[in-house]
Amino acid sequence: MMDEDFPTDFQVIVVGTGMVESIVAAACSRIGKNVLHMDSSDHYGGLWASYNFEGLQKFIKEVNSDPDRQKQVYNLSEKWFIEKESAQGETTDENKGEPRKVWSQADFAAEYRKFNIDTTPKLLFSRGPLVELLISSNIARYAEFRCVTRVLTWLNDQLMPVPCSRADVFATEAVGIVEKRMLMKMLTSIVGYSEEEMNNEFKDWNNKTLKEYLTHKGLTPNLIHYILYAIAGGNNSLPCLEGVKECKKFLMSLGRYGNTPFLWPMYGSGELPQCFCRLCAVFGGVYCLNRPIDKVETKTVDEGKTVVTIDSKSKKLNCDHLVIGVHECPEELMSSEPAESCDISKAVFVTNGTIMASEKEPLTLLRFPPLADDDNAVTVLEVGPATGSCPKGLFVVYFITKKTKDAESDLKPYAERIFDMSGGDQTAATDKPKCLWSLFYNVKDTSSPVSSVVDNVHVCSGPDAGLDFDRAVEQAEQIFKKICPGEEFLPRAPNPEEIVFEDDVTHGPEFQREQDEEAEPKE
Amino acid sequence: MQKIQIKRKECTLDKELLELTGNVLSSNPDIYTLWNIRRDILQLFKKSNDNIEEMSQVYNAELHLTEYCLKINPKSYCAWHQREWVLLTRDDPDWQKELELCNTYLKLDERNFHTWDYRRFVVSQCKPSLKDEFDYTTEKLMDNFSNYSAWHYRSKMLVELYPDRKGGRPIEDSHHKHELKMVQNAAFTDPDDTSAWFYQRWLLGAVKTTIDLVNYTVTPTKNTFAFSKHVDKNYVSAKTKLLINNCVVNGEWVSCTGNCYDVLWIFQHSTPITKKINIKVEYEIDNGQKQIIQGVECKEMFYIGKNQIKFERNYSEAVIEELKDQLESCRQLLNLEPDSKWTMLTTTIFLHCIDAKAYHTEAIQNLQKLKVIDKLRAGYYDDLIAKWCIEKQLCSDYENADLALKFSFPSPVSSLPYLQYYSYCDSVDLSNQQLTSNIFPSLIVLQHCKKLSLENNNLTTMKNFPDLDLVELNLLGNEKLDRNEIELFTKKYNFNIIY
Repeated sequence: MMDEDFPTDFQVIVVGTGMVESIVAAACSRIGKNVLHMDSSDHYGGLWASYNFEGLQKFIKEVNSDPDRQKQVYNLSEKWFIEKESAQGETTDENKGEPRKVWSQADFAAEYRKFNIDTTPKLLFSRGPLVELLISSNIARYAEFRCVTRVLTWLNDQLMPVPCSRADVFATEAVGIVEKRMLMKMLTSIVGYSEEEMNNEFKDWNNKTLKEYLTHKGLTPNLIHYILYAIAGGNNSLPCLEGVKECKKFLMSLGRYGNTPFLWPMYGSGELPQCFCRLCAVFGGVYCLNRPIDKVETKTVDEGKTVVTIDSKSKKLNCDHLVIGVHECPEELMSSEPAESCDISKAVFVTNGTIMASEKEPLTLLRFPPLADDDNAVTVLEVGPATGSCPKGLFVVYFITKKTKDAESDLKPYAERIFDMSGGDQTAATDKPKCLWSLFYNVKDTSSPVSSVVDNVHVCSGPDAGLDFDRAVEQAEQIFKKICPGEEFLPRAPNPEEIVFEDDVTHGPEFQREQDEEAEPKE
Repeated sequence: MQKIQIKRKECTLDKELLELTGNVLSSNPDIYTLWNIRRDILQLFKKSNDNIEEMSQVYNAELHLTEYCLKINPKSYCAWHQREWVLLTRDDPDWQKELELCNTYLKLDERNFHTWDYRRFVVSQCKPSLKDEFDYTTEKLMDNFSNYSAWHYRSKMLVELYPDRKGGRPIEDSHHKHELKMVQNAAFTDPDDTSAWFYQRWLLGAVKTTIDLVNYTVTPTKNTFAFSKHVDKNYVSAKTKLLINNCVVNGEWVSCTGNCYDVLWIFQHSTPITKKINIKVEYEIDNGQKQIIQGVECKEMFYIGKNQIKFERNYSEAVIEELKDQLESCRQLLNLEPDSKWTMLTTTIFLHCIDAKAYHTEAIQNLQKLKVIDKLRAGYYDDLIAKWCIEKQLCSDYENADLALKFSFPSPVSSLPYLQYYSYCDSVDLSNQQLTSNIFPSLIVLQHCKKLSLENNNLTTMKNFPDLDLVELNLLGNEKLDRNEIELFTKKYNFNIIY
């Protein structure tokens, strides 16, 4: 609650706590700007937020009851596959000797806090811009990460592991011996290309697809499948050079932290905007949740400077720069250039087991090639209790694809391939995990950058359908550069122990410099 | 350091000295002398101290120091050795802890051969399950197969765990196949990783081998016996019996070089050798059976017994099948990468192992190609060419009764293996090769040679020329030979020397 002597003038006001907004807020605050960061909800993250189970139920209710919300999230449909109340006691699974819990809806409600379900689940490339940013700014210490343990694909009607690293290629039995050589050769050459060499090697392939290139190189269909769908994450029409760059991105991130190129934040992707908010606050940023805005105006004051004024709950707030999420921004401030967009189809499932057995609890990225001709590729992320996403015994599985028809029609056929969606006896032995709960929804694609009609209003895009945060980081940096030209983008923030006060007082014992260079993901 | 040296001289081996040496070693663990001093001190402590607990603590402190030093230099010979010494000296060694220490160090650097060596030591003391050790190498190789030490250790385990007792082979069939497959995976995933190729060569060589008596020559003046491998006097006298007219001849065995182990042995006896006598040799082979090699009078009073010889390795059917399979894949890979040295070499070795006779021409052609692709090892390929060509020639030469030897090589050679196989020859033509004077010592096996031609070679000196009973020696076409040296040489020997 803002009281009477709360300041009303800021250098930067940020509206919305999505990823782009939060990075910008942190960057501005870090270099000394006076920042106010607001959000109309009672929680952080906006469209990038994560919810516990109760919070998610609330989200679903809100969306379904508010047509305005449905401009962003629509076709929302939730389904239970389990009983409302618990049956008597637990049944012991004879084979495992461990009690296999029979879940009821009431159980979910009782353990609601143990769920952290993302509306925008994403992975981090180990050598990608976000990880580098987290390290260079030292924001990494606000979060913990786990390694994605395996990458899978759907091949020959079954789940198959994708050999990505040298050790994988060596050990896999799914690939013939000469194929192994071809695969390694292709992967090593892709990683080895410098920017110049790459443009040179592929200059004759500008109008062709990656698939055509791989075929031309004599790779067998299986290998093409692995490289095209699983490693490059593309489909048949992926242009050649773009595909090769995607491969290189994947391969370069291998081995930094684990056997796959990816990290997943503990407690979900929704943690990340919060990390940036935290840094913003540390450097003096002011935070206000539950603060919707009513009106935005621009005013030219003396010396030709433009000031932005926000009306919020009868307070007038002024700033030099307004950073605002695309969903909060009044339409009249946005330029009406038609942007290319393709809405996103998403789904979340809670299941009672992993899609493919594994010794230790897995963290899986599954890339489905399109099952039907007109389909898009589907990305699946399976996370388990060790990531803090759900209670023990369950898994949370996310599906993402570009919308063709609607979320349920787009994604159900894929879900049915890997889950048992028949409901029924949870203890029955099946080769697929049982789906206990599902949620389908579509998200309007607001990921294209939007320019505003005023110079000092900066519009932040929403989430894209991609796997990583790269676009968000890129956009945040661009916005920051406009607001603070010539300033450093998130320079390393010192650890508290590193701060030595220069006083005329006798110095105590020297503080030790902390050695940590990198965020350490939990094994 | 001075203080240390003084104290040592004075023999004050005490706690202070322990402390001093410890401090120095903490910064530089590789001063061997200081570890020595510490061992002296600890031994003194042990003598004067019966208390096991106290000594245990002393030993633990020592181990702690080695661990600290290994952090600084994980490849310090001294530190590892000290650790070994402590473990062997103390009464209460904790081998499990040592094994775990190895695991930890191997996690940090799985290729540190010191650690693997230490592991072998620990394993030899506490004898854990060999299968567990074997599985450990599998685990390490799955993580990163570019690990020579792991393959090497694995080879030791393999032979102990899965020998083929029935077939008498070092490795049981299914495992031999499995290993060949595994190493093929490594080789194809990364053909530039040499550790896999070496392991493969070892696998191919892991066959039962025999020591054969390849020929013998009996004349009135000299009786020579040639073997496929170097053997010693006890072996020769136990396994070999000369029979003249069905009577065993007693005599003395002398090596032709005077060494303990030799490929050519001379049998000295007093039984006269005349015309048309029945000469036989009984040779005892591996399973106790006796081979009878009949002598043939090729010239007057010159009896030669030639045994069946073969150079093919004794692989089982299953392994041959696997090799043929892998040969196919190698050929495919060669199509993709014609300049890959290892693929070419392995293809060639496979050809030789599967059927040396049938694939001889192709194999030799490959070796010629390899000399171009892999220039630095041209000499190695040359030697291999010589070896395989002689093997081929030997098979046909042993079928005929010719006493003259002339080699036919695709190009001049500089090495001559298997010469003892030709010890019976009276005329040896080594002309037009690339032999240097280094070849001389090996010519000693040509004990019955009368005419020797070394025309058109690269001889530079006559030093170390063997003591042979020659009639004629041809040295023409060796431009680098010093005339004076030859003249001196001529004076020494009374056979005809052409130069």
